[in-house]
Amino acid sequence: MESFLIAARAVHYASSISLAGVFAFISFVAIPEISPRLGQRLSMLAWASLVLAVLSGGAWLVFVAAQMSGQPVAATVSQGLVAIVLQRTRFGQVWMVRAVLAVILAALLSLPRGWRGRLWNWGGLAFAAGLLASLAWAGHGGATPGRPGDLHLAADMLHLLAAGAWVGSLIPLALFLAGAWQNADPGARTLRRVVTRYSVLAATSVGVLFAGGLANTWFLAGSTPALIGTDYGRLLLAKVAIFVTMVTIGSVNLLRMLPRLAPTAAEGAPRQRAALSHLRRNALVEAGLGLAVLGIVAVLGILPPGLHTEPGWPLPFRLELAALEPAAIAALAIFAALAVICAIIGVATAAAGRYRAMAAAWASLIICVAAGVFTARPAIAPAYPTSFYAPAEPYSAPSVAQGARLYTESCAVCHGANGKGDGPAAQVSPIRPADLTAPHLFAHTPGDLFWWVSHGKANGAMPGFAAVMSPADRWDVINFVRARAAGVLSQKLGPEIATTAAPAVPDFAFETQNGQQTLHRLLRNGPVLLVLCEAPPSAARLAQLDAVQRGSGAAPLRVIVVDLAAQAMSRAETAPSPPPVAISPDVTATLKLFRTPADGPETDLMLDRAGNVRARWATGKGGVPDAETLAKDAYMAAQIPASPENHAGHIH
Amino acid sequence: MVTHRMIVAAAVCAAAIAAKPHGVCAHAFLDHASPAVGSSVPTAPTAVTMWFTQQLEPAFTTATVIDKSGNNVDSGPAAVDTQNPTELRVPLKPLPAGTYTVTWHALSVDTHTTQGHFNFEVAGR
Ligand code: HEC
Repeated sequence: MESFLIAARAVHYASSISLAGVFAFISFVAIPEISPRLGQRLSMLAWASLVLAVLSGGAWLVFVAAQMSGQPVAATVSQGLVAIVLQRTRFGQVWMVRAVLAVILAALLSLPRGWRGRLWNWGGLAFAAGLLASLAWAGHGGATPGRPGDLHLAADMLHLLAAGAWVGSLIPLALFLAGAWQNADPGARTLRRVVTRYSVLAATSVGVLFAGGLANTWFLAGSTPALIGTDYGRLLLAKVAIFVTMVTIGSVNLLRMLPRLAPTAAEGAPRQRAALSHLRRNALVEAGLGLAVLGIVAVLGILPPGLHTEPGWPLPFRLELAALEPAAIAALAIFAALAVICAIIGVATAAAGRYRAMAAAWASLIICVAAGVFTARPAIAPAYPTSFYAPAEPYSAPSVAQGARLYTESCAVCHGANGKGDGPAAQVSPIRPADLTAPHLFAHTPGDLFWWVSHGKANGAMPGFAAVMSPADRWDVINFVRARAAGVLSQKLGPEIATTAAPAVPDFAFETQNGQQTLHRLLRNGPVLLVLCEAPPSAARLAQLDAVQRGSGAAPLRVIVVDLAAQAMSRAETAPSPPPVAISPDVTATLKLFRTPADGPETDLMLDRAGNVRARWATGKGGVPDAETLAKDAYMAAQIPASPENHAGHIH
Repeated sequence: MVTHRMIVAAAVCAAAIAAKPHGVCAHAFLDHASPAVGSSVPTAPTAVTMWFTQQLEPAFTTATVIDKSGNNVDSGPAAVDTQNPTELRVPLKPLPAGTYTVTWHALSVDTHTTQGHFNFEVAGR
């Protein structure tokens, strides 16, 4: 059924674009130059497009209703589910509006020729454009909440309209050129004028398509791995490749053929006729490629965007740009820009037939690429197919606690109870098991660790666990290993806000007087001070922390006080403010990873908005901070951008 | 004249595209829930509330809550909030201590379906 839906979508896109294209051609390219014969043909093309659009739109509706309800198509129709979709979903409402637009367009097309004037042209253009642009609601842009959603929607509409103006008017152009070829009727000047106007329309549309497509590619695919590692990304690249081919064919031919349309007397008509048929053939080829693009679009619309699927990384290495000096990154950017310029010059000179210049351009391109590879060498790290997987289990206390249990069962024999690589089996291992608390752990992505835990490392010195642990279990154990290493790393931090943070504290839920809250949600408001106590904190300390939280410092600081020794988990109803929050045993176990016995009764962690630890204090190591220090540090932590410092599990 | 009109149109397009925001996504995914995913609560909640990354279609979005032995413990159908269409709420029967599983099927307004499940625990006093 999915393939029927794709087919219906493809036909609907193509026919809506063709309909809009006819009116765009009439209004922008050929108003005075339309012969009655061409007018008739365009009218027929518009009718055919409209009928196809209505039929495919109906099919799309039925298939979507079947998909929404999970019923077979026949049942969807017989049980009246289509009516429910029409009345009670936004897709259905959009479809009803579009049906009205289609009826109006049919009425316009039925008007006799004598009634068709400028108003008719512009009216038809407006309604056909409406029919096309409203498709944006059926795409990915329509569902993002709030203002960003509106902008996304507007951008998608422009994208559709530009496609309609360019690709949709290719067939009308071909019809026009065919008429000119048959009866040599419009003079050379008219011909040139129409083709030039068409070029302006096409160039503008291509510009819009290119800018919007680039933005869309980035936002929906998300990243390089998503682009080359997912079906979505690869289809998107195929779409871009076809688009570039279309643009190249279009521009090169225009540059070559336009002069030949107005031949000098000496060259005569045959040359003009050859150019005409050439142009027409290329318009048809471009239209065919445009159809291929629409087929891809029809598939893309039902795939989850690359951002949300696990990218399989196809290469044995990856670029870790963070490992490069800023100067090297700047150099890379310059080489990339030069390479693009060389490529453009290469294509342009080839089109102009200047082959020496072309060879020089391509040679420079190769030099740029080589220089880029040389510069990027330190950033090249080994990679595995799962390197860019996002953890399937969120980096949070329940997962970490489950991972701790699995670690004791499966990993501690070699890596040791504390992860130092000193378990009982380490003696007999041919290679020393890795110290899983070393900072080096964070040089690898969670996906790298997932590969090793699944398939082993160092020729089996570390065994693979894919056969005995479910993927969720493997992610849990990785979350635990990373949380423990983060705890060990955070102990190196001092009382000053660090520029390079220790990795993040796992998300956890806790109970306050007002109900349940989570660390992540609290962090959305700004930095958080996490106070971990081994015994109930004194009333004086609580009062001090309360002052910090209320204090009218430059930046707000939220304080979470956790009593790790509390036995029962109960919501504090009446207690000093801020009262120690209640947490479950999973959370207690997770947070204990961020303390050492030497800390004494209290450990304080300053978390930036990404949850990374930026500063650390302990009673046993220089004492806990006063209100003034905290206010100052909160202000500094608030300035740090919220983008995660490391790969610590963010899942979509 | 045509060219002039088109330049204006192109400028408007460029502005709209430049203003395009970060992090757009399609398909409704669970952003967060209350009780939080995997968490433990001391007292039984009266409802499970889920927040999604996209607006939901009320007619085709459902969620159920079951206990360890598979019995339904929701006291009514899941409802999408009328004010905030990204929010889904399932009312619950009074829950004894134990672990519960929430299973959701979401249809976002761009006609894509997603599903998932998560656990939470009622610790009891
Ligand atoms: C039979 C012993 C053994 C067991 C059991 C074992 N490992 Fe390992 N592990 C090793 C050895 C040996 C290495 C070092 C390989 C190397 O240096 O290339 C290693 C390396 C690793 C690394 C790579 C660390 C790095 O920074 O390079 C990770 C991660 C890891 N193990 C995780 C685990 C986890 C998680 C488990 C339990 C599910 C586990 N290991 C169980 C022996 C073991």
